[in-house]
Amino acid sequence: MSEDQPRMVLLRVFRYRSGDEAPRYDEFRVPIGPRTTVLDALLGVRRLQDPTLTLRHSCLHASCGTCGMRVNGREVLACVTRLDGLGDRVVVEPLAGAPVVGDLVVDMEGFYRRLGPSGRPLVRASEQAAPELPDLERFEDCIECGLCLSACPVAATDPRYLGPAALAAAGRLLEEPRGADPAAVLGWVDDAHGAWRCHVAFECSEVCPAGVEPAGAIMGLRRRLLRDRLSRLAGLHDREARP
Amino acid sequence: MDRPHVAIVGGGGTGAALAHDLALRGLRVMLLERGELTSGTTGRHHGLLHSGARYAVADAESAVECIQENRILRRIASGSFEENGGLFVAVTDEDMDYKPGFLAACAACGIPTGELTPAEALQIEPSLNPALKAAVWVPDATMDAMRLPLRFFASARRNGADLCPFTEVTGLLRHGALVTGVAVHDHLSGRDAEVPADLVVNATGPWCERLAGMAGADVPVRPSPGVLLALRGRLCNRVVNRLHPAGDGDIVLPQRALSVVGTSAWVVTDPDDLDVPEEHVQAMYREGARLVPAVAAAGFRAAWSAARPLVGAAGGASSGRQLSRTFKCFDHAVTDGVEGLVTITGGKATTLRAMAEAAADVVCAKLGVQVPCRTRETVLEPHTAYYTGGRAA
Amino acid sequence: MTGKGLRAVGGRHPSRWLDPRGRHLGTWAFVLNRLTGLGLVAYLYLHLIVLSTLLRGPEAWDGLVAVFRRPVFLALDVLLVLGLAVHGLNGLRVALVGSGLLVDRHKALLVAAGVLVGLVGLVAAVRTFA
Repeated sequence: MSEDQPRMVLLRVFRYRSGDEAPRYDEFRVPIGPRTTVLDALLGVRRLQDPTLTLRHSCLHASCGTCGMRVNGREVLACVTRLDGLGDRVVVEPLAGAPVVGDLVVDMEGFYRRLGPSGRPLVRASEQAAPELPDLERFEDCIECGLCLSACPVAATDPRYLGPAALAAAGRLLEEPRGADPAAVLGWVDDAHGAWRCHVAFECSEVCPAGVEPAGAIMGLRRRLLRDRLSRLAGLHDREARP
Repeated sequence: MDRPHVAIVGGGGTGAALAHDLALRGLRVMLLERGELTSGTTGRHHGLLHSGARYAVADAESAVECIQENRILRRIASGSFEENGGLFVAVTDEDMDYKPGFLAACAACGIPTGELTPAEALQIEPSLNPALKAAVWVPDATMDAMRLPLRFFASARRNGADLCPFTEVTGLLRHGALVTGVAVHDHLSGRDAEVPADLVVNATGPWCERLAGMAGADVPVRPSPGVLLALRGRLCNRVVNRLHPAGDGDIVLPQRALSVVGTSAWVVTDPDDLDVPEEHVQAMYREGARLVPAVAAAGFRAAWSAARPLVGAAGGASSGRQLSRTFKCFDHAVTDGVEGLVTITGGKATTLRAMAEAAADVVCAKLGVQVPCRTRETVLEPHTAYYTGGRAA
Repeated sequence: MTGKGLRAVGGRHPSRWLDPRGRHLGTWAFVLNRLTGLGLVAYLYLHLIVLSTLLRGPEAWDGLVAVFRRPVFLALDVLLVLGLAVHGLNGLRVALVGSGLLVDRHKALLVAAGVLVGLVGLVAAVRTFA
């Protein structure tokens, strides 16, 4: 077979309409090349085979975070995930943990409800080569895709868990407050369903497409909370010792 | 909602800003978008907040529009930009010949500039081509292509607009030559519905010819895609443009931990079937590397195409009102004898608010509504409010 | 019209943490910890029940011990030791990393824990059956 001939792959795609009794899986055979992404294939299906297929996408380059879905069970951004190398049968499902609004579209309200109280600004300071250069800005790395929340095994069982994205945002606020009150942020995450609910699986950092390293952020929060607690305890001891 | 005054078809930047403007003026607005918001052309652009310098020489009107909107957006959408400025970099003698005219044109358009020696430029932007001959600082900035329009959507929803993504317009409701609303298919429920409205606005970008055709109207808009390339690594900290008359691959800009190189241009008939020609991708690498050499060896993240709505001259009858150099409005009652339908098209991501103001003025005039525009001063809701925010009573 | 059809599809699924697809080493460790934890708790209750046989006198106890000397139960004993090792060593990793210590080395800690578990299991097997 020549390199230019398209290979056929079978997509098993999760389908659901509000009002359906239960979801089903539809199968589509699609031609792929070495660069074909999951999103390319799904849009091709929508254009040529089934115009009712519903999915989210916007930027096509891992910046907007809207095309998050599970491919063979793993959370990815469809626009930058190549089908070549994933096998001949590929299962495509919506993100886990959020109500499915239709096919591959999930309701992101829960994700933003957790992230919102962080009040994190979109923009952060940017590292500069030399300190005498003017201040620079850059967007926060987190693209709000929700892959981390979907992948987290704790979020699977605890609906009140703040989740990696919100906690990572809190971690960023402590690093660079930009007007936020660090005590308030720490108080927000110092909760049984906050930073302490994490079970150190690190799945969030594995699936994050934007290099946020949420697991590391959560451990950082816990280290900070522990240190504060210990120093408060130490402070108490000192006070009691004085007459 | 009760019967909307205006049904806006198209959930890109144009639709977003228009929904916001009209909702602010107290109209009942319903917006219909067949996919996710900004999933058409708007979400795909490279994220440049134009200073207008790129147009100063060849198209002063566009340039003035851009710098004005640049300032307004920084005010009403503060916190949504990387305000690091931009550079126009000369790498050849021809580029140097272009420079004096460029500086004069920017001055004439009110675009502040600052000249930098190669050493100065390399000091603030070490990734630049070390062989650069000159650099000019301009007030470019970087935006998030989806999240800026999302702020307009969030504000519109807050003021009562009904935003309906995944709701595709399948036809226009007609009463003879009068358009009375839209027929829609809700992809999430699989159900069809009819939405009567006083006026339908076609804001579908490169698809606007298709939608206007549903009413037997014509819009001389052709989809004109261009290729963009995203590379791993924040190779530069600010926008880097080539100091020359516009050409392919003449801009490199940062997007978080990625760098985007753009763009090219060709014309197609179907905006849903866009290629990503390999020669164009290679051109991005090649031309981008002339500005920022690290582009050549940077890791590939994505390559995609986005279709601009290219407004051409119409044959025969009136070619629509030129609301500005960059965007046009077609009142189909005038151009095609079809009342109740207006098309707004063209424009740039940077001028979405201005486009909406002009279009909203037309819409209000047609509906006999005399409320002034307030979008210049109204600070927008944060983009997260689109997902969590409520509506005003 | 906005189509927010919020049905019960998707959303929380209490056993989703058992879905093995696309998961990495850290999640496997978490799953193992949960399973061994449950297993050890079950064993504890079993152990107490077995111990209560002492109340019935030395003959009953000796009879039970003879049963537990059979190879299948010795194998279960090795499994128990493995379970303890997994839960204990991984628990140590979780305690360390979860307090913000050695976070950058968490994968190395996992591998080290795995190696130690293997060693412990090997020693237990040898000493039980040899």
